[in-house]
Amino acid sequence: MSDTASQEPAETKTAPMIQMIGVHKWYGEFHVLKDINLDVDHRERIVICGPSGSGKSTLIRCINRLEEHQQGRIIVEGIELTSDLKHIEQIRRDVGMVFQHFNLFPHLTVLENLTLAPIWVRKTPRAEAEKAAMTYLERVKIPEQAKKYPGQLSGGQQQRVAIARSLCMNPKIMLFDEPTSALDPEMIKEVLDVMIELAESGMTMLCVTHEMGFAKTVADRVIFMDSGEIIEQNNPDQFFDNPQHDRTKLFLSQIL
Amino acid sequence: MISARARASSDTLALIKSKGFLSCGVNTGLPGFSAPDTNNNWTGMDVDFCRALAAAVLGDTTRVKYKPLTAKERFTALQSGEIDILSRNTTWTQIRDTSLGLNFAGVNYYDGQGFMVKKSLRVKSAKELDGAVFCMQAGTTTELNLADYARLNKFTYKSITFETNEQVREGFETGRCDVLTTDQSGLYSHITKLSDPDSAMVLPEMMSKEPLGPVVRQGDDAWFNVVRWTLHALINAEELGVTSENIEQMKSSSNPAISRLLGTTGDMGAKLGLDNSWAFHAIKQVGNYGEIFERNVGRLSPLKIRRGLNALWNRGGIMFAPPIR
Amino acid sequence: MSATENGWQPAPDLPPPSSSVGIIGWIRQNLFSSPLNIFLTVVGLYIIYKAGVPILDWVFWSADFSGEDQSACTSGGACWVFVGQRLSFFIYGFYPESEYWRINVLFVLLAVLIIPQMIPAFPHKKWLGWFFLVGFPIVSYVLLLGGSFSLPHVETEKWGGLMLTLVISFVGIVFALPLGTLLALGRRSDMPVIRAICVGFIELWRGVPLISVLFMASVMLPLFLSEGAHFNKLLRALIGIVMFQSAYMAEVVRGGLQAIPKGQYEAAAALGLGYWRSMGLVILPQALKLVIPGIVNTFIALFKDTTLVLIIGLLDILASVQAAITDPAWSAVAAEGYVFTAVAFWIFCFGMSRYSQGLERRLDTGHKKR
Repeated sequence: MSDTASQEPAETKTAPMIQMIGVHKWYGEFHVLKDINLDVDHRERIVICGPSGSGKSTLIRCINRLEEHQQGRIIVEGIELTSDLKHIEQIRRDVGMVFQHFNLFPHLTVLENLTLAPIWVRKTPRAEAEKAAMTYLERVKIPEQAKKYPGQLSGGQQQRVAIARSLCMNPKIMLFDEPTSALDPEMIKEVLDVMIELAESGMTMLCVTHEMGFAKTVADRVIFMDSGEIIEQNNPDQFFDNPQHDRTKLFLSQIL
Repeated sequence: MISARARASSDTLALIKSKGFLSCGVNTGLPGFSAPDTNNNWTGMDVDFCRALAAAVLGDTTRVKYKPLTAKERFTALQSGEIDILSRNTTWTQIRDTSLGLNFAGVNYYDGQGFMVKKSLRVKSAKELDGAVFCMQAGTTTELNLADYARLNKFTYKSITFETNEQVREGFETGRCDVLTTDQSGLYSHITKLSDPDSAMVLPEMMSKEPLGPVVRQGDDAWFNVVRWTLHALINAEELGVTSENIEQMKSSSNPAISRLLGTTGDMGAKLGLDNSWAFHAIKQVGNYGEIFERNVGRLSPLKIRRGLNALWNRGGIMFAPPIR
Repeated sequence: MSATENGWQPAPDLPPPSSSVGIIGWIRQNLFSSPLNIFLTVVGLYIIYKAGVPILDWVFWSADFSGEDQSACTSGGACWVFVGQRLSFFIYGFYPESEYWRINVLFVLLAVLIIPQMIPAFPHKKWLGWFFLVGFPIVSYVLLLGGSFSLPHVETEKWGGLMLTLVISFVGIVFALPLGTLLALGRRSDMPVIRAICVGFIELWRGVPLISVLFMASVMLPLFLSEGAHFNKLLRALIGIVMFQSAYMAEVVRGGLQAIPKGQYEAAAALGLGYWRSMGLVILPQALKLVIPGIVNTFIALFKDTTLVLIIGLLDILASVQAAITDPAWSAVAAEGYVFTAVAFWIFCFGMSRYSQGLERRLDTGHKKR
């Protein structure tokens, strides 16, 4: 068991890490999330899939309030997300996010990318932050790139740096927003390997991806979304072998 | 605007005495009147008048802070109290005297728009300029004055206007025109810049009256009097033959007018709120009007302007100062 | 599998033909490649010769360099004696001669602070840069104005020449950049009131010519202030210039902010960085770097615009030259004065331009798509 788990207070173990209760969201007139109800347990690994435009990215982006929901409640680690900036920043510190396009800071070296938030948000001393950053870089297997700039790395390396950057904040939850979609095929594996390793260490993860192999290997639960609704959710075996809903069947037949 | 003018009408003389210097608005650069000299000091007739004032009020010509002003901002600077006196070749007109909240304290230079011609034209009078081509600066009253003058004297002319002073001179020098017209004081400064200064001459006629003098705020009579009578003292000194050189001997002169001027008899200074030796300081340190004129614009200067109208009344000019008594 | 293991090797690189390399190759390719090209080259050289020789003759060969006054200028070319005689006025204005050392100290300090920035390997450049932006203005203020540390007070009416030009531009640059950045951020703010204020400010100042700003500062403002509050004309002009320039700067910086992908904002937010930290640490360093050419362009424009202060009676370098060339003690020396001014401006503007190019190269971290 990972050491982060042992430090958890007893009561948060029983309560869900993330609760979404009747969440609705609109982009203008467009109803993008419709009555989402979702509980994510401690150390649960969830893969969210669905056709493009189904609202899956929006859903996870609501969890760290990169998107604002208009109805319903979202409670992360017992803190409800409202327009209160303090709460938002508190939650963002504990929720890591990996983006489709990596979004590394191009003007900073890899090491500076990793230490920026620990130094400025967590107030970690620089030396300590750099030491921690190096261990995370080793964990994603690119310590030798620490002094380079993101522009000098390959896509797969950049995404691994992005994962390490999130981990440097010691997040309790990791959100992945299509982390391999922008990668060349030969680089997908190196990123997935890191994600699998992370999942096996016991991190709570929500992952929007079309990598069904990844879902089968590590997911505790697979969620299928379409048109802003959660259509179906199940454990991977049931989900892939015995989909219940017609739309799920159609979707799986198209991507598998 | 009204309140702005009214408010700055406090006791300027007391203010100058308490701050220990005089704020003098001058031209940013007009040779002979106000311009930086080779040692980077302000010099010229208008500057000398401020120096004389400082000597009269504070006993020291160096107690002046010069504020170079453009034509557009000069009256505001005076109205707002930024300067104590405007000594910046400003023409005394009725509108300025009556509607700007200002008072002209007198005239220290009688100027007027004149004509400069090439000597080779053999023209002796402006009356002979029929059909001539005139060079002048654009956007000034020069053009209007010329039009009026031509209509009045029934002659035809062509005009070429230029943006800057240098271009006007260049046009004259390269023969694009026969006549260059601007204020007479400016004509003399143009002549010095010609490659052959002897090739041109200034005609005697003037087509406009431009009496230039120091200006103060309206409603501060004590300070107005100091400025006006300092100017008169300088002119009277010339008339009485008192110069910066002979002033020590003149102190023992038997002429009562000189004694009053130099403060050896009478209480002339005290009546202005000044020391009785006010005019003595001014004349000793700056010179009388004639000395100031010759040094800055006259014989002793590169401009070589003749006294003309600015000669004393008893020597063919119109400089006439009321007596100090 | 590597190539050698397959027994296959890439063909060796051959050198390019000699006619396409070296000076000869360049001349042949660029100047004499076709009859028309040859014709244009010859005509061009002829024009350069016809125009260049008289200019060089006037500037150097027929010019007079040494002497005391007008009488030394007899050769028919440029009378540089005039510039030499009045150089102190063009540089220091009316500043008292005994206090020139203060300005000289600042000139040296300026050079000491700027030259290391041009040397890539120089250590502590960052601190020198910060001192340049924060410490140097304070030192300059104390030294130039005096009145403290037993330095005699020199009122701003005595400031002039190149020194005044540099003071105005430096103040404009140092204050307009941060103020403009704040305005640009405000213009993109989520808060409607702040956005409205910033948009209003920017559009107001961008909508008026600098000349009218200066006129307002020198002619109108004193009338509105209560008596005794008529503060320094230079200060009024400086405030006007800073306001005006910061509005322009805001638009330049806004362009940079718009070019930063949304992902950068999101990544910074997702890491828990608050607004000011994401702006200060992530967004602005990238945005400002993107718009360095625009910023320097604005600076150069500002530097040249400072000459407009002559219309409110501040004697900057151009106004000093204009005042000096009217001196009747010298014959026509306008050309010399203006050439001197032009060269002085060109040196500073060209320096700024080169510096910005160097800065761009140095800050390039290889993420730009070429």
